[in-house]
Amino acid sequence: MLSFLNPILLLGILGASIPIIIHLINKKKAVAHKFAAIDFILETNKRIYVKFKLRQLILLILRTSLLIFLAIALARPLIKNLGSGTAEKNIPTSNVVIIDDSYSMQYADRHESFFISAKAAAKRIVDTFTKDDDAVIIGCSGIASQVLPELDYDKKHILNSIELLQPGFTTTHIATALDTAVEVLTTAKSPVKRIFLLTDLTRNGWDPSWFKIGHEKLRRHVSKVHIIDISEGKTLKNIAITRVEPRLDILERDAEGQIKVTISNFSPGRVKDVLVQVLLDGKRVTQGFFNIDAHASESKEFFFTVEKGKDHVGWVEIAGDNLNADNKRYFTMNTLHKLDTLLIDGDPKTNIYESETFYLEKALNPGREHASSIKPLICSIQEVNNIAFADFNIVFLCNVETLPSEKIRELEKFVKEGGSVIFSLGNKVDAAYYNNALSALLPHRLHTTRTFSSDSPLSEEQPLHLKTSEPIHPVIRVLSETQMNTLSSVKFYRMFYIDPTPLGNCKTVLSFSDDTPAIIERQIERGKVVLFTSSIDREWTDLPVKPFFLPLMQQLCRYVSGSTTEEVHKEILVNHGWQFPCPYDMNAIEITNPEGTQTIVQPRFIDNERSFEYNETTIPGIYAVTAGGKSHPQLPQKFPVNVDATESNLDKIDQKEISAFMGGTNLTITTSHTGEGADVLLGEAKKTLWGSLLFLTLCILLVESFVSRK
Amino acid sequence: MAENPFDPVTLSKIASMELRARLIVDGVLSGIHKSPYKGSSIEFLEHKEYSPGNEIKHIDWKVLAKTDRYYVRQFEEETNLKCFVFLDTSGSMGYKSTGVSKFEYAATLAASLSYLLLKQSDLVGLVSFSDRVLQYIPPRSRLAHFHAILNALTESKTMGKSNAGVILSEFIEKIGRRSLIIIISDFFDDTKKIIHQLKYFQFKKNEIILFQILDPYELTFPFETITFFESMEDDRRILADPKSIKNRYLSEINHFLEKFKQSCFENQIDYWLINSSIPLDQALIKFLERRESALRSIRKS
Repeated sequence: MLSFLNPILLLGILGASIPIIIHLINKKKAVAHKFAAIDFILETNKRIYVKFKLRQLILLILRTSLLIFLAIALARPLIKNLGSGTAEKNIPTSNVVIIDDSYSMQYADRHESFFISAKAAAKRIVDTFTKDDDAVIIGCSGIASQVLPELDYDKKHILNSIELLQPGFTTTHIATALDTAVEVLTTAKSPVKRIFLLTDLTRNGWDPSWFKIGHEKLRRHVSKVHIIDISEGKTLKNIAITRVEPRLDILERDAEGQIKVTISNFSPGRVKDVLVQVLLDGKRVTQGFFNIDAHASESKEFFFTVEKGKDHVGWVEIAGDNLNADNKRYFTMNTLHKLDTLLIDGDPKTNIYESETFYLEKALNPGREHASSIKPLICSIQEVNNIAFADFNIVFLCNVETLPSEKIRELEKFVKEGGSVIFSLGNKVDAAYYNNALSALLPHRLHTTRTFSSDSPLSEEQPLHLKTSEPIHPVIRVLSETQMNTLSSVKFYRMFYIDPTPLGNCKTVLSFSDDTPAIIERQIERGKVVLFTSSIDREWTDLPVKPFFLPLMQQLCRYVSGSTTEEVHKEILVNHGWQFPCPYDMNAIEITNPEGTQTIVQPRFIDNERSFEYNETTIPGIYAVTAGGKSHPQLPQKFPVNVDATESNLDKIDQKEISAFMGGTNLTITTSHTGEGADVLLGEAKKTLWGSLLFLTLCILLVESFVSRK
Repeated sequence: MAENPFDPVTLSKIASMELRARLIVDGVLSGIHKSPYKGSSIEFLEHKEYSPGNEIKHIDWKVLAKTDRYYVRQFEEETNLKCFVFLDTSGSMGYKSTGVSKFEYAATLAASLSYLLLKQSDLVGLVSFSDRVLQYIPPRSRLAHFHAILNALTESKTMGKSNAGVILSEFIEKIGRRSLIIIISDFFDDTKKIIHQLKYFQFKKNEIILFQILDPYELTFPFETITFFESMEDDRRILADPKSIKNRYLSEINHFLEKFKQSCFENQIDYWLINSSIPLDQALIKFLERRESALRSIRKS
């Protein structure tokens, strides 16, 4: 059956009268000219007049038909497939229109993005609904809404909700969307229940595991699933920054920034000379070119100087391509915090390698002097009287036998006012003295020591190892997986048992393999005390020579000092929550997103720890953290949020695979072309005629220009 | 840039035909040559005080010796040339694309030639015609006769069809021997009949000069848009696309002109095709020069 997508344009056929009118007007308007040599014209015209008349007639027919065909072509005629779609006519339907709002839908290789095309196509679909049809629009962002969307009969509302839909920066979650759609349709009363899915058909987002059960839900509760490929079935090209790994080495005068950038080429061909620029605080600090094979990634490291004493924000960017959302990746660098640390060496030796604090000092400040943000100062017990603890952020008591009582009181005051003390034990430590003199500070009372002398696997007293305790402590949480894996290789030959009853608000940072605590943290008013139940040198353990020792000590220092603000913040992906332990006396913070929207965040208990949690990371960029409108030393000033690079891979999923996923579901997969009508989108039209008509019009135009020139 | 006074457009601005003719002839004759149509016997008429421009050979030296003043002798010129100017006033002669119509051009030419001839005391008569004789002024030699010719020319209106053949046949008896017959027309007529009639005049030793005046548009056909071409002599009209017929039209008219010219040449008739956009003095000078050289060669032979 012949029908038209834009029947109003058939009025253009009236335009076919224009050449006839012009012809008649021209005939009337023919200039009369008195001419003496008319006999010669008569003689000539006798032969030519017939040809002239015929040519005029041909031109008239050509021009008239040109306009008629053009009008018909613009009205977009098509021959409808009578076999499909018509069965649902006049029967009320319930419809869920899923619009893929993941960031791959921002792909634009023509004048508009896929997302805009999808919205337009959704509007055309909604336009076909009658007053008995209800519908709801949902996105594909993967955020499971607490409230189930409701079906609506008001077409205006539905169209308005399409209009309000914004493109997101998340990955595709087809399964979540389908799950929601099925749930909505389960409660629908209409006999026909349909799901329309408008997507770019990229592979990611199609979670095969959901379909194992999901296809049954679809088959049971949904009459028909229409999938519309907005990408017009094209192979999509994309180059993306898939990873940035910044590092910061703080030197004496300034800091050296280092960033490892990974660029991935998700296009079918090799790309050359992709310009990558690294910008810090809005200024380009370095750049380079990448040549990447098809479907491959390449990484390069960039180095640059970073000014010390401030928070820096930066990003890596590549030149714009069809998908801009993944052409920029943000990072932050913090050179602001300096931790003055006092290491009281309770067992100093003439050979410095044997000193109690030798390995600790190297771990806190490796390489050269003051190269780290942690500035350690070593002193003996004798020198302690000349030192004020208030000048430091952290005080380490390493195998300290005794302390003058006034210094103990100073230490207690130091902790209450926000300072941190870390005890490490050893052969000089007397448990009774510690339990008496330092009970206000210790997390647990000390018991006896236990020695694991044999290193033989056959021995019953094998050395202890380290393991994480549940829940994982924030100090450990920020360490890499590789570093975590080395925990079991650490050997402890001697350690202090502690009283199981804590003396205050305590948490275990790490445990021994026999589940006794190895490192315990206690909060005392504004400060923290940490107890390490073994030695910090190699006397009782090989921990100081393990790669794990350095990050553990540095992270521990940062944590206890309340400034867990790492030098380089871990990136957070869009729609992933940001969490941060709440400093002692803080009740609220403000987080400002890249668009300038501020959110007040209050602390809540997560894993028994008072923490801030912020989940509105909906757009990539730099988020600012303030407390009472100011930056806070115990809080990171900024943190970066980036898009999940998995969405950058625009490889298409095969339609056969989709059919296999949805086995048994009444499924139609169509390819959308810009401006197509709903029936074409839904596969109800078999053949479109406008292409042929436009070609015919072009042919007529060529013949017309040939005849008129002759 | 100063206007060329002999340009047809410029001439058309001069209302007086006499002025036009005098301007042209005086301009043409000033210092160029003598009239090729000169009387043969001379009788003394009177003395006239010398003025610059008079011929020195006519100064009467005896009178100079007696009176110490220069006098020239004037002679009564006895002519033996009788000239009939036939002017076509049919409707087609009224066509003009730009500037002057063919008739205006032809009338000025007729007046100029008459003035030229009368200045040499030849007898000049005028016949204006279409398909019949409209005016006939018998030949006279007095300069005052020029006014009669001028009056006839200015009173003439273009109308009707042209039928030169019939008109000429009427004058075979009236025109005697050894006369000069000038026919000025566009010759959109039965040229075979005209040539046929002219042969009779030639038989009687008359000399014939044909001036075919055509408008530039008739020669180039520069029309672009579809036009209703209307006849100037009857009610015929035709719709034509000039672009499509141009080549064929030009071929037709050139063939006609070539054929007519060939007929004239074969019958020793002096034929001149004049484009009415060409300044009249140029056309006249060219004609007189060619005429003079032709007569010179005849005399030598």
